[in-house]
Amino acid sequence: QSPLVVKMQTSWPASDIWDEFAKDYAMRVDEMSAGRLKVDVLPAGAVVGAFQVLDAVNDGVLDAAHSVPVYWYGKNKAASLFGTGPVFGGSATTMLSWFYEGGGQELYRELTQDIMGLDVVGYLGFPMFAQPFGWFKGEVNTVADLQGFKYRTVGLAADLMAKLGMSVAQLPGGEIVPAMERGVIDAFEFNNPTSDRRFGAQDVAKNYYLSSYHQASESFEFLFSRTFLEDLEPDLQAILKYSVEAASTANTAKAMKQYSTDLAELQAGGVNVRRTSKEILDAQLAAWDELITELEQDEFMKRTLDSQREWVERVAYYELMNAPDYALAFEHYFPGKLAL
Amino acid sequence: MTDPQIALVMLGLFIVFVFLGFPIAFTLMAMGIGFGYFAYYDEGRMWRTFDRLDETASYWDSWTTWLEGFANNRIFDLFVNQTYTVMSNEVLTAVPLFLFMGYIVERSNIVDRLFSTLNVASKNVPGSMGVAALITCALFATATGIVGAVVTLMGLLALPQMLKARYDPSFASGIICAGGTLGILIPPSIMLIVYAAASGVSIVRLYAAALLPGLTLVGLYLIYVIGRSILQPSVAPRPTDEEVPDVPARQLIVMILTSFLPLAFLILAVLGSILFGLATPTEAASIGALGGIFLAFIYRAMTWQRMRESVYLTVRTTAMVCWLFVGSYTFSAVFSYLGGEQVISEFVQSLNLSPLMFLILAQIIIFLLGWPLEWSEIIIIFVPIFLPLLAIFEVDPLFFGILVALNLQTSFLTPPMAMSAYYLKGIAPPEVRLTQIFKGVMPFLVCVFISMILMYVFPQIVFYLPELFYGR
Amino acid sequence: MIGFIRFADSLSAWFGKAFAWLIVLMAVGTGYEVFVRYVLNDPTAWALDVSFIMYGTLFMMGGAYTLSRGGHVRGDFLYRLWQPRTQAKLDLVLYFLFFFPGVLALIFSGWKYAARSWQYGEVSINSPAGVPIYQFKTVIVAAGILLFIQGIAQVCRCLIAIRTNVWIEAEEDVFETEDLLIRKANEAEKGSHP
Ligand code: NA
Ligand code: NA
Repeated sequence: QSPLVVKMQTSWPASDIWDEFAKDYAMRVDEMSAGRLKVDVLPAGAVVGAFQVLDAVNDGVLDAAHSVPVYWYGKNKAASLFGTGPVFGGSATTMLSWFYEGGGQELYRELTQDIMGLDVVGYLGFPMFAQPFGWFKGEVNTVADLQGFKYRTVGLAADLMAKLGMSVAQLPGGEIVPAMERGVIDAFEFNNPTSDRRFGAQDVAKNYYLSSYHQASESFEFLFSRTFLEDLEPDLQAILKYSVEAASTANTAKAMKQYSTDLAELQAGGVNVRRTSKEILDAQLAAWDELITELEQDEFMKRTLDSQREWVERVAYYELMNAPDYALAFEHYFPGKLAL
Repeated sequence: MTDPQIALVMLGLFIVFVFLGFPIAFTLMAMGIGFGYFAYYDEGRMWRTFDRLDETASYWDSWTTWLEGFANNRIFDLFVNQTYTVMSNEVLTAVPLFLFMGYIVERSNIVDRLFSTLNVASKNVPGSMGVAALITCALFATATGIVGAVVTLMGLLALPQMLKARYDPSFASGIICAGGTLGILIPPSIMLIVYAAASGVSIVRLYAAALLPGLTLVGLYLIYVIGRSILQPSVAPRPTDEEVPDVPARQLIVMILTSFLPLAFLILAVLGSILFGLATPTEAASIGALGGIFLAFIYRAMTWQRMRESVYLTVRTTAMVCWLFVGSYTFSAVFSYLGGEQVISEFVQSLNLSPLMFLILAQIIIFLLGWPLEWSEIIIIFVPIFLPLLAIFEVDPLFFGILVALNLQTSFLTPPMAMSAYYLKGIAPPEVRLTQIFKGVMPFLVCVFISMILMYVFPQIVFYLPELFYGR
Repeated sequence: MIGFIRFADSLSAWFGKAFAWLIVLMAVGTGYEVFVRYVLNDPTAWALDVSFIMYGTLFMMGGAYTLSRGGHVRGDFLYRLWQPRTQAKLDLVLYFLFFFPGVLALIFSGWKYAARSWQYGEVSINSPAGVPIYQFKTVIVAAGILLFIQGIAQVCRCLIAIRTNVWIEAEEDVFETEDLLIRKANEAEKGSHP
C-alpha cells in the first residue's frame, strides 16, 4: 500500500535551519506510521508564498503548514498573542504550556474556527528561545541611543519598537543586509544566531544584543486542513498530532546545539555579544503597557490576555521561586565568562 | 504515470502549446489550472454535496449541484492565491515606474540632441559615427530600457546619416541593432528586476553585478567598431565637414552640457541612489520618472498628449509582464506540487556533469530558446527551472543571472524572432535588406559570446562591485 | 456583434486607462516618501504598502485593456504566418479551453477569497500602519469580470474573422514609439510610390 502523502509547506527557505526542524517532524510521522503517512516538506514559495500558508491550508491547497501565527496577524491581530504577545514573566515553555494546559488551545480554536471561520486545526510546538534585540552598528545602552533609528522587525514588535522612538522599516529578509550596509536601516532583528548568521548579519553589524521582550515566547504553528485531518483514520490523526510534541523536543535539542555553536562562531568572528541594558528592557515593558491597553479594546484579546496573565502569575511564580540560580553555578564552574 | 512524470508532460505540452500563438500568459495559466485540476482531483471531496442529494432532487438542482462539485477543485483557490502573490510582490513594483520613466524619456527629444553632440565630439575617431551611435544607444537604452524604441529612434536618426556618409549598410545596421538591445542588460534594467523576482536574488546586488559586464560588452562593441573601421576604412569613411560640421570647442562644451549631462545626471542619480542604498529600486524609479518629466519640460517636449501616451503605454506593458507572472506562478506551483522540480534535478544529477558543462549546457539551452522566444518568457518561465539546479553545481545565482542577461542580448538578434532587426527593417530605407541586417549583427553576437567567456574566466568582473558595495 | 466588440473595447480601455493614472500617483507618492525620509528624517509607515497596492491594481485592471489591444505577448513566430481565418479558428478554441476557466476562477474563487478578507477586515502585515488590503483583494474579482467581458468580445472577433478572413482591430489610441515610427515610414513609402 503506497503511503498517503501529506503536502506540508513551510514559511522558510530551504537554506534556513527551520527547514531541518520541519523535516524532524516529517521523519517522526513517517516512522511512527510505518510508512502509511509520508510528510512531503516543501520550502516557502514552492506552492504558495510564506505569508499565504493559512489561506492555502484553509482552502485545502496544502494539507498542512509549518509556520508561526504572527505571519497572519494582518487577518486578526489576536494571532500575535499566540507567541509574540506581551511578556508577563513566563518563557516560551511557560506559554506553550499555557497553550496545552492553561486554556490557550481552546482560545486558539475559537479564534481560528469560530471568529475567523477557518477550516483549520492548529497545534503549537518547539518553544523558541527568546529572540535577541538584534544587530546594531554601534553600542546602544540607553533609550536615547535608539532615537531616530530605522529598525527592521515584524508583527506587534513593530508597534512596540515604534513606541521606543525608532521608525520601523519593513524590508523583505533578503534585502536586510544590503540595506543595512548602505544605511537604509540602522538596526534589525531576525530570529536566532543560526538563522542570522546564515544570511550574513555579522557582515553589516558587529554588536549583537541578546535578551529582549519583543518576541520572547514564540512557538512554531503546525496547521492542518480540518477536512484533511478528520478524513484520516484515528491512529493517523493521533500520529500527526503527537508528532508535534515529539518534534518539539527534537527541535529544542537541535536548536541548543546549533544556536550556541553559531553564537560562538559569531564571537570568534569579531561580533560583540552583549546583553540589552536594563533601561531599554524597562522601556520595552512600559511600551507593552501602552500596547496592552490598546489591544484590550477587543473583547477576545482581553479574554486571551486575562487567561495568559492568570497562568503566568501562578506558573511563573512557581518557576522563578523554584529555579536555582543557574548563573551562580555556571560562574562557579566557568568563572569570568558570563557578562550579564 | 507517476506525478513527477505528469509534471514533465505538463512542461512538454506547454512548449508545444506556446507555438499555437495564443497569449502566453493565458496558456501558462491554463496549463497550471488544467494539470492542477488533475493534481487536486478528489472525487469524494468535490462531489460530496452531490452524492448526498436524495432521489427527489429536481433535475435542475442535481445539475447545478453537480456543476458546483465540478468547480469545487482546490486548484482554483491556488490560482487566486498565486495571483495575489504577484499583486503583492514588492520587487515588481519597480517595473511600472521604470517603464514610465522610459516612455517619458523616449518622448523628450533627448536622443537627437545626444547623437548630434556625440557625432561632433567623436569626429576624429575612426568609425566616428558608429562610435557616436553606439554610445548614444548605450546611454539612451540605459534610461529607457525599452529595446524597440531605442532601435527605431536610432534607426531613423543615425542610420540615414551613416548611409549618407557612405557607411556599409550592413555594418551600420548591426551597430544600431546591437546597441539598441543594451538597455536590457545595463542597469536599471527591467530584465534584471524580473530576474530578481523570479530568482529571489537581491535586485540591488544584481544591479551592481551587471554594471561592469555591461561596460565590458559596450567596450567589446567599441573595439570591434573602431578596429574594423581602421582595418577596413571603406565600411566607415570619415564624414566630410558638410556631413558633420567642425564646431568650436566652446560651442561643443555647451552642446555637451545641454544634451549629455542632464541625461547622464538622471541615470547616475537613479543608479547611484540604488547602489549606495539611499533608495530602494522602486523609490529610485519614481525619482527617475519625476526627473524624466522634469527633463522633458526643460526640453519643451512635454505635452499633454505625450504624458497620456506614456501613462497608457505603461499600463499595457506592465500588464503584459505581470500577467505572465500570474500565469507562471500558477504553472510552477503546480509543477512543484507534482514533484517536477525534483525529477529534473535528479535527472540532471544523473548526467554527472561538471559545473562548467552544466553552465555551458544551460546557456546553450537559453540561447536556443532565444531564437523563437523573447527575454520575458525565457526569464519568467524557463529560468526558474534551472534555478534549483544551481546549488547542486555550486553556481551563484547572481553569476548565473548575469550570464543569462548577457546571453539574452542574442534573443533580440537571432532569427526567427529577431525583434531588433525587425524594428530596424520596419523603418530603414527599403534598400537595406533583412539579410544585410543579420549579417551586420553577426560580429556583435560574437562579442556577446566573448563577453560571456570573459565573465567565466574572470568572475571578478561580476563580483567585484557587489562585494565592494555590499561585502561578501 | 461588432457593436458588442466596440462596447467591450471601450469598457476595457476606460478602466485600463483610468487605473493607468495610478502610475503618476505612485511616482509622486514614492517620491514623497524619499523626500520626508531624507529631508524631514521622518519616513512614512505606509509607503511600501501603498506602492504595491497601486502597482497590483494598475496591472490587474489593465489586463483587459491590454488584451483588447493585442498587447499580451504571443509565441507567434508560426502564428503570424497564418491566414487570419486559421488564426481565428485556433484562437476560438483556445479562448474556451485556456482563457475562460481561469477567468471564471478569478471571479468566483476570487470572490470567496476577497469576501473572507472583508470579513477579517484584513490589513497589511508589512507595517504598524495597518493599511487595509481587503479592497485590494477585491481587485481580483473586478479584473476577472473585465477580462470575462473582453473575452466574449475576443470570441466575437474570432467568429467574424472566420467568416471574413479579416481581424477587427481595436480603435488604437496610443502607439509604442517603434510602431508609430514604422507606421509613419510605411505611409511615407506608400506616398512616394503611388
Ligand atoms: Na523576530
Ligand atoms: Na530571437
